[in-house]
Amino acid sequence: MKKLLGPRRTAVLKKRIKNFWYLYKSNKMGMIGLSILLFFIFIAVFAHYIAPYDPYEFSLDVNAPPSWKHPLGTNDAGQDIFSELIYGTRISLLVGFLAAFVSTFIGGSIGILAGYFKKLDGILMRITDIFLVIPSFPLMILLAAYLGPSINTVILVIGILSWPYTARVIRSQVLSLRERTFVESAKVIGASDFYILRAYILPNVMPLLFANMVLNVSGAIVSEAGLAFLGLSDVTYKSWGMILYFARIRGGFIRGAYWWWVPPGLCIATVVLAFTLVGYALDEILNPRLRKR
Amino acid sequence: MGLRKYIVKRGIDTSITFFIIIVLNFLLPRLMPGDPVSRLIGTRVQMSTEERIALLKRYGLDKPLHEQFIVYLKGLLRGDLGVSLSRYPTPVTEVLMYGLPWTILLVGTSTILAIIIGTLLGIISGWRRGEKLDVANLAVALATYSTPVFWIGMLLIFFFAIKLHIFPVAGAFSPEHVAPGFSLTYVIDVLRHMVLPIVALTLILYGGQYLIVRNSIIETLTEDYILTARAKGLDDRAIMFKHAARNALLPAVSYAAIEIGLIVAGAVLTETVFSWPGIGTIIYGAVLDRDYPVIQGAFFIIAISVLLANFIADIVYGYLDPRIRYG
Repeated sequence: MKKLLGPRRTAVLKKRIKNFWYLYKSNKMGMIGLSILLFFIFIAVFAHYIAPYDPYEFSLDVNAPPSWKHPLGTNDAGQDIFSELIYGTRISLLVGFLAAFVSTFIGGSIGILAGYFKKLDGILMRITDIFLVIPSFPLMILLAAYLGPSINTVILVIGILSWPYTARVIRSQVLSLRERTFVESAKVIGASDFYILRAYILPNVMPLLFANMVLNVSGAIVSEAGLAFLGLSDVTYKSWGMILYFARIRGGFIRGAYWWWVPPGLCIATVVLAFTLVGYALDEILNPRLRKR
Repeated sequence: MGLRKYIVKRGIDTSITFFIIIVLNFLLPRLMPGDPVSRLIGTRVQMSTEERIALLKRYGLDKPLHEQFIVYLKGLLRGDLGVSLSRYPTPVTEVLMYGLPWTILLVGTSTILAIIIGTLLGIISGWRRGEKLDVANLAVALATYSTPVFWIGMLLIFFFAIKLHIFPVAGAFSPEHVAPGFSLTYVIDVLRHMVLPIVALTLILYGGQYLIVRNSIIETLTEDYILTARAKGLDDRAIMFKHAARNALLPAVSYAAIEIGLIVAGAVLTETVFSWPGIGTIIYGAVLDRDYPVIQGAFFIIAISVLLANFIADIVYGYLDPRIRYG
């Protein structure tokens, strides 16, 4: 059965992606967001080639304001801020993507199981609602404090506490998919639950999962910046939030070294805005109800 | 389902969550890797053996887990959340109770301001959809919504406190100039300290409210009864406020409840950057000192407050919108 459907399914998928891109292209906000994201992803990937200095290397040029030598000046240890910012892009984005992957995976699994299996729905949604009410940021602080500052801890803590919203959205999508005729007919010809989940439900929730993941990435970047600012992230991984933390505790902020703390905040805001724009654009395309009337 | 039955049902749900928060609060410090005893009562050199044994007994740490839980519950009933490690032997409850009014003052004011501003701008924007005013509003709201609150705080401090000296840099009052109390100078001093943190928190909170109200208005304007109102010859103002806004505001009420997470995170970070003496700054200090009982207690207080706020929001919503009760 799988072999028979194989090539046809890839053809369908190709067509779908083409249609999707056609709709996405016409969404101005979405395209702006996407361009910004691609720009930052490019910086993150090629940080090695772009950064003029090693961001961890000390120098005697301490607290220098912006100059030709150091476009964004240096910090109290003589480290080049521009290079820190470029490497910070890599860390902030990586933490955001990994944490969002964890939370989307958990939320997606719970949403699919709850939506498909009526018996699990009650208990899983109870748990989800409880997690929705428990304030996640203070719990992240608590767990990060107990587990100690490490980049893996931060990723995991953000990931395992940010899934409830995704679970709810995916569940309601699966609830409606389950009642469609193609699922009914598959059941009638004796397809197993596992087969239906894999062949019909999963491919149909994939776009929505993807849209949710995009929004989760921006949420994760904000959470990481917040945790880092409170000193709960890994000091050996200088993310944008970590640069802000250092600028504040090492007195750069109070001394008026604007070149140290203005750029990282601007980067966080720009990237989060870009993710939000892309997320909204995806939502608008996938939720035809929202399309412009 | 009548309103009473609905309240009872929400009450039961809330109680279950309440119990789970209590269990979580008990288990977390005890099940995390490492030594729970040192986390709960600390390992300070100046603590005598007798003191240590007394503390172990007080929290039942020499007993098995289920007996510890009973001791813990009895302690909770007395309001005992443990002892601060960095300010030993001050009880955690005392540390937190000092901060709570400051946090309520900051969060309450900002939330109310954010709801009012977000709603008004949302109505205007939704009504004038696509016009310059709407686009400008939308751009500003999206920008502030995406910006980390502590960075907004830093910008405000940099311009209005460090450069222009209009507002103080940090704190909630100036202890070197005025003594706390109900004097006019003290109130004015606190107000001066409040301005910047409130602006920062309001700026990141109003965006969510604005977006939901705007969307809701746009959706409502396509309804048939708006067309009817127009056909009746009502003027724009009457349609906007009497017909559209009233119905569009319902989803906004439930949205305020969802935003509580954002409010809490925003408050902790805003307080930290402004050294506002509330729960958030206490958490920050406790993180620096690795004062686990205080962080744990702060989480507990915040979780319970959020749970209560949610319960109240649910009831208000159920009262306003009968569809919820019967749905």
